[in-house]
Amino acid sequence: MTEKTQPDLARREFLSQGAKAAAGLTLAPGVMLYGVAEAKPADQAVTSKVRWGMLIDTTKCASGCNACVQACNEENGLGNEKKSRAEQVPQYIRKVELREKATGRVVSMPMMCQHCENPPCADVCPTGASFKRADGVVLVDRHICIGCRYCMMACPYKARSLVHEALEDQKANNPRGKGCVEACNLCIPRVDEGGQPACVEACAAEGHKAMIFGDLNDPKSEIAQRVAKYATTQVRADLGLNPGVRYQGI
Amino acid sequence: MNHLKKLLQMVPAVVALTLSAPALAGVPVPDVPQAVKGEQCVEPIDDMRRNHMKYLQHHRDDTMHRGIRTKQHSLKECLECHVPAQQPNKGSQGSEQHFCQSCHTYAGVRIDCFECHATLPEKSALFHPLVTPAMKAAKQVHTPDSATLLNRLAGNLPNGTEN
Repeated sequence: MTEKTQPDLARREFLSQGAKAAAGLTLAPGVMLYGVAEAKPADQAVTSKVRWGMLIDTTKCASGCNACVQACNEENGLGNEKKSRAEQVPQYIRKVELREKATGRVVSMPMMCQHCENPPCADVCPTGASFKRADGVVLVDRHICIGCRYCMMACPYKARSLVHEALEDQKANNPRGKGCVEACNLCIPRVDEGGQPACVEACAAEGHKAMIFGDLNDPKSEIAQRVAKYATTQVRADLGLNPGVRYQGI
Repeated sequence: MNHLKKLLQMVPAVVALTLSAPALAGVPVPDVPQAVKGEQCVEPIDDMRRNHMKYLQHHRDDTMHRGIRTKQHSLKECLECHVPAQQPNKGSQGSEQHFCQSCHTYAGVRIDCFECHATLPEKSALFHPLVTPAMKAAKQVHTPDSATLLNRLAGNLPNGTEN
């Protein structure tokens, strides 16, 4: 029996500081004040005035760091699949490493549902379970999903997974079960209450700040100003899907 | 005429049989747990008994597709009030004690809400699934019961109460 050790409080302090910085509350002198997104009233429907998006700066994303993936699994209660094979276990977000053959330059970046403006998953869905919400978030309505997996085949980003077994102890914020397809939902219960996705918070808490989340339609938001100023890339832009997730430095 | 008399004589017996049918069948009336908080439900009780599924389904579509997250008809909020989160003795007795399940078992209505949705309110320290050990035995599944394991880990069950 090992002795119970005191939790590392210094680290906790550091983490909470990181979270505050991510929310845009601490401002260094000379840093531009960005608009902080306000939560919409709970009884009002989302509108297309907002387009949620994410900007991932791959130059800040550390190779070998898995904080975003762990935060996602924790937030959404993933990892309680006991019988699924490794290739069946659902992943909402995964780390990908790209290597440019000619130069040997390696880029590390997280890949998840890209929240397309024209989502192919929603196009092929026979029941209407895959759909795009008015504010640009692509979701699966598990109440209507029949688990046919057409969307998994249609998605060029390999973003979706099927739950292969009956589950227990799900998170209240992310009901999930056997026979339904699922993917990153941009932590929509958090976002609807004015919060940030778990991966973005975790990345900031690690001190990388490689992920920025916000409203692409709001010219005052940090993400809109960054994409207006710097060259950013959509993965497989040739498909014309206009993803809401953009990358810098690839 | 004799026939009619005989029939009439049988009526009280038939009525008595019909009335006592539930008792004979041995279906116990469910012991629905008291709400944990609050004095009043979100709608009048008789309305909720008849129409709760309509409220839930309407709210479900509003939340899923339009992002409306009011609390009045939310399933999460049902659990917050009706499922004892901090009463290990009530919760650990398994699914029959669950507010939703106790009544649906009695009514013979199979609900699939809890194949995906959490069975306990969020802040709870206690875990108990709606798949009971008895159901597992019937399906001949021999996996360790996650609820028992987690409850033991969390120290919610005194020794000897787990199955």
